[in-house]
Amino acid sequence: MDPSAAKSLPELGFLAVVEHSQHGLFGGYLVLNHGGRPLEFHCTAPVKPNRAQEILYGPTLKPYLYGEQIGKTLLDRAKTLPSVVLTDSPPALALREVIEAPLALIGESDGVLASEAAGPSGALCCFELLGHQAAVEQRFVSDRERLTTLLAPVAQSIDLAEPFFRIREAIEEANRAA
Amino acid sequence: MSLSNRNRLAANGHVAGNSAHDARPTVRSIPLDLSAETMATGWQTALTRPPKIRMAMLDWSLAAPGVVSVPLPKVALRTIGYQFPEARTPELPGLEQPAGSTRPVARKTPASKTRIKPPGDLIKLEDRLYYLLQPPLESFVTGGSLHFPFNPFPYQLDGIAFLYPRAHAILADEMGLGKTMQAIATIRLLIHAGELRRVLLVCPKPLVSNWQREFALWAPEIPLNVVAGNQTRRHWQWNQPDALVTIANYELLLRDREVVASPDLHFDLVVLDESQRIKNRNSSTSQVVREISRRRSWALTGTPIENSPEDLVGIFEFLAPGYLRSGMKPRQLRAAVADHLLRRTKDRVLTDLPPKLFRDAHVELTSEQRETYEMAEDEGVVKLSKLGHELTIQHVFELVLRLKQICNFDPTTGASAKMERLLADVEECAASGRKAIVFSQWVETLKQIKHRLARFRPLEYHGQIPSRQREQVIDQFKNDSSSSVILMSYGAGSVGLNLQFCGYVFLFDRWWNPAVEDQAINRAHRIGAAGPVTVTRFLALGTIEERIDQILASKRELFDTVLGGTAPQRLGMTREEVFSLFELQTPKGPIDLAA
Repeated sequence: MDPSAAKSLPELGFLAVVEHSQHGLFGGYLVLNHGGRPLEFHCTAPVKPNRAQEILYGPTLKPYLYGEQIGKTLLDRAKTLPSVVLTDSPPALALREVIEAPLALIGESDGVLASEAAGPSGALCCFELLGHQAAVEQRFVSDRERLTTLLAPVAQSIDLAEPFFRIREAIEEANRAA
Repeated sequence: MSLSNRNRLAANGHVAGNSAHDARPTVRSIPLDLSAETMATGWQTALTRPPKIRMAMLDWSLAAPGVVSVPLPKVALRTIGYQFPEARTPELPGLEQPAGSTRPVARKTPASKTRIKPPGDLIKLEDRLYYLLQPPLESFVTGGSLHFPFNPFPYQLDGIAFLYPRAHAILADEMGLGKTMQAIATIRLLIHAGELRRVLLVCPKPLVSNWQREFALWAPEIPLNVVAGNQTRRHWQWNQPDALVTIANYELLLRDREVVASPDLHFDLVVLDESQRIKNRNSSTSQVVREISRRRSWALTGTPIENSPEDLVGIFEFLAPGYLRSGMKPRQLRAAVADHLLRRTKDRVLTDLPPKLFRDAHVELTSEQRETYEMAEDEGVVKLSKLGHELTIQHVFELVLRLKQICNFDPTTGASAKMERLLADVEECAASGRKAIVFSQWVETLKQIKHRLARFRPLEYHGQIPSRQREQVIDQFKNDSSSSVILMSYGAGSVGLNLQFCGYVFLFDRWWNPAVEDQAINRAHRIGAAGPVTVTRFLALGTIEERIDQILASKRELFDTVLGGTAPQRLGMTREEVFSLFELQTPKGPIDLAA
């Protein structure tokens, strides 16, 4: 493949947050090249909100933890600036407030993201992205077009829901090693 | 009188008359004022004394409320992270996907896809995560930039996932399951991932062209450097630093030992095909392959154990020296190799492969053969007995071979019970438009068969056919409908060839080792076989062939114990067993095993 052509292909960030009943939340962030190969992986130590945070943040706690605390921290650690960021955790859509890259919530190919479902701060705009149900927050509805354009070159090589499985496996492996 | 007075009077009963007509009533006043005298006492004075009042000031102002601050700081998260080297694919021609061949990405459940898992001996978390985070293999096969001519079977993807992360591995699939393809596909993926830059593949000489063909099919963009020719040329070839894949045969390895064993020559991966060739640790071949500087070592073999578990120990001396020890018990061996050895059998993974039907053609020798045979055996046994302590296993082998040859053809008259049966079978085979392979261990026997089968235009493939002509012979057999039979020696034709268009296999005589017979049979019974493969095993009753068959048939357990499952017995015969064929005592002293 022509190296200049390869450079123009997107690098994709996948963010997943795993809830562990005992330890709390583990965040994992995987950056893939256009062929689906891993470029970077970062994961967090467990995050567990205390009672006061639960009370005081109320319904905004999850978006805060998933988006600002875990998502932003992980993206800041990565050396690669992703062209797009995808997540399978709805509260992580709050991350969009603090990053420039378009961010979408990805569902299973046969799953359904209800069109009336609400994101952390408003209604979601649902659409199909490379054979998967996807959603962006209404406030960032222009992301939809950007995502569709940026991901078109990798339509044949990447299954958008699959990398989240890898992240979960890697988080488990990291925990076993810890 | 005022009303009040009236009331007062009435109350006292002093109002007389109540009629207006009464005379005016008499009013008598009674003084009600009572006088009271008081005497002064001490406490009474106190009653008149004004009370003493004390006043106190009470502070009713409210205290300031206590404030408890709940800190909600942004906690710095601890993270771990790794950067992986981006795959730097070598610039290879033909890497682009052929136009129009893009296929949609398979949408299977993520968990059900074939994933690369790090081996148990990989310690570093970064390395383990690197393999865990690789995409599922299906994404390469069905959607990636690499084109595969066919979709591999799921078990073949499992084989690729097994080899991919391993530095020491034996792929020990039963013959015909595609070890070659699995190795090539894995090498290809690792080259494209930038993990391999220089690979050496060593195989028996007759298989070099087969590997070339398979590489052209499964990894067409990878250039091959096939070591051949005179010494000067070979040295130049060995020292090609940009050669991604170098192919050499075992014999050349020995001849070029000085170059091959040089520390200046380093390979990222060395693959040994038919690695049972190094089962004997003391052999020159084993020694030279162990001297090759390398990072990864893989062995491919359908028979990791041919004679004893020591064979496996010998192969591991190349893979991971010292990892296995001589004398380990089968169960210990099994546990030790579990993470390094992958073996699948056809009956487990290819449930839809056409069946392999065995027919034991037990024939009675012709009268001429019987007479010759008995005379030869009697004379031979007497001769062996006379040797006493001079007796060696080679002497016994010589007699066995002579008797087996008589079982094939009577040396004087050419009479052959087997040939009569074979002729009838081949006629039937040719009449149905099917093709057949006939195996023998002797070229001379094959020539006699060729003469008798002349009308079926048999082709020959054995040690006397030059290597450069062999591929042409295979092509002719495949494409020439008038050639119904190919005659092969076990040595030349038992490994690596793909003859799945043949429906019949005849084992005219039996090899010492059933593993070799299996390899021969699996030239036809392999992936792509169009229909059932019928295997006819000739055996002359009441002869040495029957005795050998009984010994081998009784040794089916050890292989199963070490490798598990329903694997066929791969053991040859021991020295004691060879001597027992003629009820001879095993002489003392070192005797080489020949089986």
